[in-house]
Amino acid sequence: MTRSARRLARARPVTAVSEPGNAPVAAPSGNGAAPAKVKAGRHREATLYQALAGAGAGDGRSLEQLRADARVAFQALEPPVWRRSGFWTTSLQSLSPDLLSEQRQAPDAGATAGVPEVVRRTLPDRPRAGRIVQSADAVVQLDLDPALAEQGVILCSLEEAFREHGELVAPWYSRRLTIDRHKLEAANAAFWRGGAFLYVPPGLVVEAPFEIVYAIDRPGVAQYGRTLVLGGATSEFRVHEYDLAEDFDGQALHAGAFELYLQDGARCRLAQFQDWGSGEVFDVSTRFVGVGRDAYCHWLPALLGGHLVRQHLELAVMEPGGDMAFRGLLFTEEQEHLDVFAVDLHETGPSGGDVHWRGAATGESRASFEGLIQINPGAQQTHTYLQFHSMMLSPKARIDAIPSVLVSADDVSASHGGTVGELDETAIFYMQSRGLDRPAAVRVIVEGFFEPLVAELQDEALEELVRAKVASKLAAASEDIEAYATSR
Amino acid sequence: MADLEIRDLHVRTEDREILRGVDLEINRGEIHALMGPNGSGKSTLANTLLGHPSYEITEGSISFKGEDITEAEPHERAKAGLFLAFQYPVSIPGVSVANFLRMAINAKREEPIQVKEFRNQLQHAVELLDVDRSFTSRHLNDGFSGGEKKRAEILQMAMLAPDIAILDETDSGLDIDALRTVAEGVQRLHDEQGLGALIITHYQRILHYVEPEFVHILMDGRIVLEGGVELVERLEREGYDQIRQEVGAGAAGDSSV
Repeated sequence: MTRSARRLARARPVTAVSEPGNAPVAAPSGNGAAPAKVKAGRHREATLYQALAGAGAGDGRSLEQLRADARVAFQALEPPVWRRSGFWTTSLQSLSPDLLSEQRQAPDAGATAGVPEVVRRTLPDRPRAGRIVQSADAVVQLDLDPALAEQGVILCSLEEAFREHGELVAPWYSRRLTIDRHKLEAANAAFWRGGAFLYVPPGLVVEAPFEIVYAIDRPGVAQYGRTLVLGGATSEFRVHEYDLAEDFDGQALHAGAFELYLQDGARCRLAQFQDWGSGEVFDVSTRFVGVGRDAYCHWLPALLGGHLVRQHLELAVMEPGGDMAFRGLLFTEEQEHLDVFAVDLHETGPSGGDVHWRGAATGESRASFEGLIQINPGAQQTHTYLQFHSMMLSPKARIDAIPSVLVSADDVSASHGGTVGELDETAIFYMQSRGLDRPAAVRVIVEGFFEPLVAELQDEALEELVRAKVASKLAAASEDIEAYATSR
Repeated sequence: MADLEIRDLHVRTEDREILRGVDLEINRGEIHALMGPNGSGKSTLANTLLGHPSYEITEGSISFKGEDITEAEPHERAKAGLFLAFQYPVSIPGVSVANFLRMAINAKREEPIQVKEFRNQLQHAVELLDVDRSFTSRHLNDGFSGGEKKRAEILQMAMLAPDIAILDETDSGLDIDALRTVAEGVQRLHDEQGLGALIITHYQRILHYVEPEFVHILMDGRIVLEGGVELVERLEREGYDQIRQEVGAGAAGDSSV
């Protein structure tokens, strides 16, 4: 299995991963690469891939300049379409153009000041280090343990962080995120308001999690989440992000940009609980986690609901000795469409990586997981593994897994594996013979399928939340699952 | 009326009839052995008694404690007090032995079992089966050795305290130590809780450790000979072929063995 020392040419740099035939990208990309023409449906995303090489600190643009440049790109770009290998397309065709109109990006007059009910209902009542809640485009709740504030922890809106802690924020803001790969990324960079900033000073160990919440409380909202997290050298902390929406009729948009940087020896457990409810919420987000020298990050997104979700996720070892565990689980239902592009990027060696995702699907939902291991030139002594396991629970559901490995160093090991499963009737009978009814037996199997990852959250409250969500999705789909099982 | 009554049971799978009129009565507190050569229908009977969906009952009936359970769902039979120790226990990844047992016990109860009571029962069962306590925190049958799987079956049986247990070739593939542990476990549940058991086996080995009162010999889908423990000794001496010749007609005609 292990493909040691596999040499491959580095991917061709491409700027915009958007549909060919779009207007040419107006603004030059932050990393200077020229836009390239790519024929539709011919490539995996991996071959279009390039690391997010930075748009902000790298070239010294101010926040205002970045916003202005992003706005130019926003105006020039059409909504993106992601295609690969001819069998998978993520398109924003069905998104109301109104949500992406520039007028829409003025401060939200309909905003209510309160914390949305869905946030009160969902977030576990448990000790926390701090919490910041953004509803639509406004921060509606902010608290931070005073003892931590005294020790130098900063938790505030990103807007406030620019005002009050400019010298801390500016070198890192958009250090690796780009602003012009596609229209929604540009919209985020141009129009974001509120946002979240967390700084954990060097050496500080915080046991309870920092909670960052993005909530959409009604249809018609275009929300641009913007998060920056900095972990000082040898700090240790947890971040739990919640992406939540009320169950409403109608469309809403969340375009997120998240970046987290860990300095030397820092350790972070980052988890994301995403449940956009039953409304038509579109989520197109880009997330980057950079791991510094001898630092470690355990990252686990739980993608548990959204009408159309597109996630570009990168976990990068940027300095020697960095290590990472990149976990994720996804569970789609009904008509949901989920498109994940996850990158395990090694820029230097020695470094470690371990990517392990699991997905299940019911109804007529579609999920695609494309996982890429990229080992850059010179990243010697990198050892990494990527695995994806899926479970089909309905004849009309579909999950595609597309692993890729791009290696440009010769003293490394990188490999991938995966499984595709269905419900095991023998296991169901076994459990029934112990007194569990059929739905309970199915639940045991599916929960057991996810359990190795859920247990890795190492946080009882969050684990329970994820288990409960999986159980409620299973309950909602029980007739569908039953019909599928007995038809085989 | 016996606790478990099997009347003229005919069972088929997709393409052929396997059981061709089985009659059997088992009461709480009785230990029965069902012996037979490969392919005689032993496992079919075991699975049918618990309602496996792949086996179709074409004639006859099964009743348990006076209720007709011929058409009952497997979990209903389990709740009523039947248990099947599988020949090939299935692994259930992601669920610990202890958690699975708690679920199974709670499925039979109105109120969930108290943590302390459950822990005590588990401790008792763990000692009975001579397994390490850490065994119960491992995922059920996942990566278990053959012997561990069979011990886990008996552990579940001890915890669920059924009225009648069917042990489907629980002795196959066990070394002598594991066999003794498993057999002693069955014997103690019989002695302490009044367990009734149907021990299905191809060999005589396990019957040196658990003594059956009733022995039935199954051939070609019918019980062809019944008796006491002396039948086991006779089988040991003569083998199935001798018995087949003797019972002649009953086993003739179908050479699917």
